[in-house]
Amino acid sequence: MMSLVGVMVLALIMGFIINRGVGLLTWDLLIGDYHPTTYNLSLPTTESLGGFARPNDLDESAFFSQMWGLGLMDDVDFEGKAVVRVIYVDAQSPLQMMRDKNNLERVVGLFPGLALEKVIFSDLTIGLSRTKAENFIILFDTHEGINDLLAVSSGNGIRGAIITTGLLIGFALMIALPIGIFSAVYLHEFAPKNNAFIHTMRKMIDTLSGVPSIVYGLMGAAVFIPFTSRISKAEGGNLFSGALTLAVMVLPIIISATIDALRAVPDDYRKASLALGANHTQTTFRIVIKSAVPGIMSAVLLSVGRMIGESAALIYAVGTAIKDHIILTEKSASLAVFIWSVMAGEVPNFELACSVAIIIMMVVLFINVLIKLVARRFALLP
Amino acid sequence: MNTFDVRELVLTYDGKAALQHVSMNIIPKQVTALIGPSGCGKSSLLRCLNRMNDLIDGCNVEGEILFHGENIYAKNYNVYELRTKVGMVFQKPSPFPMSIFDNVAYGPRCQGINDKKTLENIVKKALVDAALYDEVKERLKESAMALSGGQQQRLSIARTIAMQPEVILMDEPTSALDPIATGKIEELIFDLKKHYTIVIVTHNMQQAARISDYTAFFLMGNLVEFNTTEQIFRQPTQAKTEEYITGRFG
Repeated sequence: MMSLVGVMVLALIMGFIINRGVGLLTWDLLIGDYHPTTYNLSLPTTESLGGFARPNDLDESAFFSQMWGLGLMDDVDFEGKAVVRVIYVDAQSPLQMMRDKNNLERVVGLFPGLALEKVIFSDLTIGLSRTKAENFIILFDTHEGINDLLAVSSGNGIRGAIITTGLLIGFALMIALPIGIFSAVYLHEFAPKNNAFIHTMRKMIDTLSGVPSIVYGLMGAAVFIPFTSRISKAEGGNLFSGALTLAVMVLPIIISATIDALRAVPDDYRKASLALGANHTQTTFRIVIKSAVPGIMSAVLLSVGRMIGESAALIYAVGTAIKDHIILTEKSASLAVFIWSVMAGEVPNFELACSVAIIIMMVVLFINVLIKLVARRFALLP
Repeated sequence: MNTFDVRELVLTYDGKAALQHVSMNIIPKQVTALIGPSGCGKSSLLRCLNRMNDLIDGCNVEGEILFHGENIYAKNYNVYELRTKVGMVFQKPSPFPMSIFDNVAYGPRCQGINDKKTLENIVKKALVDAALYDEVKERLKESAMALSGGQQQRLSIARTIAMQPEVILMDEPTSALDPIATGKIEELIFDLKKHYTIVIVTHNMQQAARISDYTAFFLMGNLVEFNTTEQIFRQPTQAKTEEYITGRFG
């Protein structure tokens, strides 16, 4: 009964997230910039004006200029500010031939999705973003030339967050894997058994995996930010301090999972190897670790899964500023922190947050399936 | 000269005695069988001969075991070198999860032999001597885990032979195998006797009678009787031995 309630609550949450977020899930979301790009365009010569028909599938609330073959609509940007959005540009429209104001050789046609900021027509009449779409269309219809057109793309892409997350995980694994695996090997294969100190160490490692990640985040802020600031030109949070924080966070996971993997290696292998005159080190590195590789693989996946969903530990250590161009010594936001950032603004962006949430969940799901597959292979092998 | 001289060996696990004042000797190029009921200490003695007991927590050994006159329990005795000369085959075949070739080459590689040609020769000779070569020569690169139980056990023997030891210790090598595979191992032991000293622990009295030259009968940690196999099975001097080999207990 209670589990049914649990499942239903979960299904509701998932349903909500998928419902809100799935609309934005496009390739452009994954590769796009978060911050809008401004286009400064002009149309020096005009030809083939007029005679455009309003397409049938154009939104009811949109306004259409027959002269320019342009569809406009009142919209709000992700911050809730009113904008005039281009939603249709006819394939034959002269607007397709607009040029980059800064480089008149370059043709940059107006395209759907851009929001009009400012349009200066040939007689220097000006239309601004607060001008309603209806009035803009009237302006377009009464002018035959455009001197200057400022438009911004919608932004909201998460490429920067994906790159940040990838770099963080990569660096963190590079630090945590060798340390974690060698610690586990020492603790399980070399450390004296029945030793109080070693025993306490292992207890502590087990406890560490339960420490809330915000505590690691504080440690990152207190230790790793000053440390990385000293050895690089970073000021404040940066990707290196974030990676170090994550590395410390997943270390107990890697150690515990690797110890489990080593424990699963049959003692017969160790005995057989020693009986062949191999010494302890040879036995450990040539036989035991080799046999434990699939188990260590799932330790890696487990920690990647933990890191990709991590936000609290990174808020201080890497910061929350969403960046499109990632610089290692500067702040940026990972995927999970990205959710926090877009929700923390004055106007929370539910749709975008939910889209990112879906992406994170899909990756975690994929990793879990991968762990299962690795584990199954492991079970089949010996 | 004897290969091993065991003198007044006392072995305890966490203070509990498993072997009490055992003295016997192992004669070169002969098969010595250790028999007796479960828990009599025969496997413990076997594991003493290449110091595999070192791996067991709480195991303590007193007395001496001389290998060519040298006490293997002396301080500073090189136990790894000992194990290259005194190999061991376990009850459960335990090939490493790697190819057949790599399994056999593992021991020599650990001794620093990396030359491909040399390794190939060693592996081939070991597999031939273990009567396994003809069955696996086409698939040396395949995983050893795919072999049958009997083949795996012969692989374990090949792995041991590859080290060119003097002595091969066998701890119930056929108890996990079917009668046909057992027969093959017994034949193999008969051939190996020409080149190696073999000490075998077995539960199977007929096996001891078939393959061994000497037999030691253990009971409750004591060596009851040690003599040629013929003597032990024809005219045991001790009543307990006779009761055991005639199946009245055990």
